[in-house]
Amino acid sequence: MSHYLKKSFVLGGALSLAALSVQAESFNWASKTDPQTMDPHAVNSTPVLSFLNNIYEGLVRRAPDMSIEPSLATSWEPLEGENGWRFNLREGVTFQDGAAFTSEDVMFSYERASSEAADTRSWFSPVTDVRIVDDYTIEFLTNSPNPLFPSSIANFMILDSDWAKSNDAVLPAKDSENFATLNVNGTGPFTVASRDPGVKTVLVPHAEWWDTPTHNITEATFTPIGNSATGLAALLSGDIDFIEPIPLQDVEQVESRDGFRVIEGEETRVIMFGFGHEHDTLLYSNDVTDTNPFTDPRVRLAAAHAIDIASIDRVLFRGKIEAASQLVPANISGYSEANQDRPAYDPERAKELLAEAGYPDGFSFGLKCTNDRYINDEALCRAAASMFAAVGLDAQLSTGPVRDYWEQLRADDFDMYLLGWSPGTFDIEHPVRFLLHTQDDEAKLGSWNFGNYSNARVDELLPLILKELDPAARQDMIDELVKITQDEVAYIPLYTQPLIWAVKDNIDVTQRADNFFMLRWVTVN
Amino acid sequence: MVFFLTKRLIQSVFVMLAVAFLAFSLFRYVGDPVSQMTGVETSVEDRERLREDLGLNDPFVYQFVRFTGDLLKGDFGYSYRTRQPVAEMIASRIPATLELGLVALMISLLVGIPAGVYTALRPRGFATQTILMLTLVGVSIPTFVIGIMLIFFFGVQLGWLPTFGRGGTVSVGGWETSFLTIDGWRSLILPALTLGVYQLTLTMRLVRAEMMDVMQSDYIRFATARGVPMGRMYFRHALSNTMVPVITIIGLQFGGVIAFSIVTESVFQWPGMGLLFLESIRFVDIPVMGVYLVVIAFFFVLVNLIVDLLYVLIDPRLRISDVS
Repeated sequence: MSHYLKKSFVLGGALSLAALSVQAESFNWASKTDPQTMDPHAVNSTPVLSFLNNIYEGLVRRAPDMSIEPSLATSWEPLEGENGWRFNLREGVTFQDGAAFTSEDVMFSYERASSEAADTRSWFSPVTDVRIVDDYTIEFLTNSPNPLFPSSIANFMILDSDWAKSNDAVLPAKDSENFATLNVNGTGPFTVASRDPGVKTVLVPHAEWWDTPTHNITEATFTPIGNSATGLAALLSGDIDFIEPIPLQDVEQVESRDGFRVIEGEETRVIMFGFGHEHDTLLYSNDVTDTNPFTDPRVRLAAAHAIDIASIDRVLFRGKIEAASQLVPANISGYSEANQDRPAYDPERAKELLAEAGYPDGFSFGLKCTNDRYINDEALCRAAASMFAAVGLDAQLSTGPVRDYWEQLRADDFDMYLLGWSPGTFDIEHPVRFLLHTQDDEAKLGSWNFGNYSNARVDELLPLILKELDPAARQDMIDELVKITQDEVAYIPLYTQPLIWAVKDNIDVTQRADNFFMLRWVTVN
Repeated sequence: MVFFLTKRLIQSVFVMLAVAFLAFSLFRYVGDPVSQMTGVETSVEDRERLREDLGLNDPFVYQFVRFTGDLLKGDFGYSYRTRQPVAEMIASRIPATLELGLVALMISLLVGIPAGVYTALRPRGFATQTILMLTLVGVSIPTFVIGIMLIFFFGVQLGWLPTFGRGGTVSVGGWETSFLTIDGWRSLILPALTLGVYQLTLTMRLVRAEMMDVMQSDYIRFATARGVPMGRMYFRHALSNTMVPVITIIGLQFGGVIAFSIVTESVFQWPGMGLLFLESIRFVDIPVMGVYLVVIAFFFVLVNLIVDLLYVLIDPRLRISDVS
């Protein structure tokens, strides 16, 4: 029962490249989670998409600063007279099995990635039709003007249609495996030489890659290491060259040793507290049982004033977090600079607001948190609970693993809850669509708005923001929307989570804010 | 003998069914598989469809009957996490766990039995007191702490041994073995020590207690009086008579070592069944968890059976009663 996959054509390519490059460099890296599948359309999660971006490519791709640049499409422009985009495809691109890349592959991949079996189909909900113009031109029609469309499909990866058809992998595998679960054939800089799921995956360069390689890797081995202490030991012993993430408390240990360094940056994930806006009563209160005080914006604002982000930063995060005023950090497009102040830490004001709202002595409520999803999530909630207590808000904290957390939130089993959100499209429309718009399953809006915050003007603004082409007019609408949600304290945005990578000194890597790890930016010195 | 074996095998099927039932009744509380299988952008509608397709909306009893029915047909299902066949996933992890367990067992026997005999014969010696104290420390420290300490000392500080994984393995007829390469053995040492420490202590203390007991008995005194050579007396006459309880306990413990090497496997990123089980819990991968628990139940039954058979080999009195 050998589960290794051998690919002779790949090895041939690797050997010829090894002969060309000055030095042969192998690179070993580790992360917490093994990509569940090698199928780019089966699971829409960071471990999978990050890993497969080394193997497959989209029409566009993201540069180190997250900006969009040409990849399999050399240019794109809005259609004239109708809503949609035309993509001009790169000529002379070959898949790793040698087949040529054409618009037919894009069409096939679109059909595959938007099928019911695909987890990526939400990316294509604005798409009404796709038209092949010629071998190297393809048009995506959308239901309304959609300026964000090209950047929203940066992770839409292109498969070879003939390869998928001849290997019986026309649709992503759903409840059983198929050829594309374990095998790959992309146009990207690397391909899989062998894969033992959950144990190790070996990648080698794709010799016929269309772009000029900037890396000097000849073989890259990925090992998932779930236990943080083991991962740290593996790095310090030299068994691996790079690991992400490492726990905050280990940063000093890595930095204090010769030959290693820590790379820190801001992730795009904003950590926040949410409320049960539409709950009639509190579920976990000892004293208030007939009403839900959090429906009063003054009470929500009081809770926001109770939080001391500076202390949380100093004590829990060693100064590595950035306070957040809205649901996206400043490096995300659409960030509202006009509304960059968050409620100050002001316990006296919080008490006044509670008294105004009719709770001079505060009240007790339930606070739900994860303990294995975000960095120091449990410690954060303990700290927040004691800060709430200082103004009379008695938080009954319950923490648990993320695997049954979302189910509890979907079942409305909370008074206040912890949530982290990373905007998948790197635009503020993303959290507005998922967290601020009124829940509407049919229109696929507000699906993570667990407390069902609802404001008619916000709902009205979202479609306008999505289709506005003029940046200034768009930003005005966003500013208005952010102002509303801040005034109403829809959420309490806390801070942006840090990214912490650790690497050997002789390795250069590039950290991107979406926590994707691109082998093509690795240099072994 | 054949009747005995058949009876035990039929019993084992019931044990496995009971384990499967218990496991299944707990799975509902582990979490929601659908949230693990889909990304954040997946619509509520698509999520519900997936839930329906996987049969997660069916009543518990129906799900259980379907699972056991498929199992009896030899269909172990597909993992929710990787979409691979569960049978293949577990089978590919068995060699790693079994080899680790075997080496841990060997360490515990090869060190534990001689140490037990020695400490029984020289109960007041300085070496005895030192050994007893060291092993007490050994069992008192949790396994993962021992593992991490070994890793940091031998792996990071001294750099002698690898810190994770199985190193070089060779495939012999589909069985990935660590036994045939130096790298494989180097990778085995630390996890096997970690896993074996508890067993070693237990074996040693048990052998010691039994030996001390036997050495007081009449037949040893007579043997001494008859002038039986010391070596023959200790090992042939005394030690063999201590073996029945020792084997029982070691056998049961070995089942435990295989089943619960989870901690050691996690600390050393050892790609065995335990690590697979841990990953499966994290992703609420119900098919893998279910089959794993049934397989582990089977191991326990098998080990107990082997222990029963060993009794007959060691104790001639049982053979006589069997014949009569």
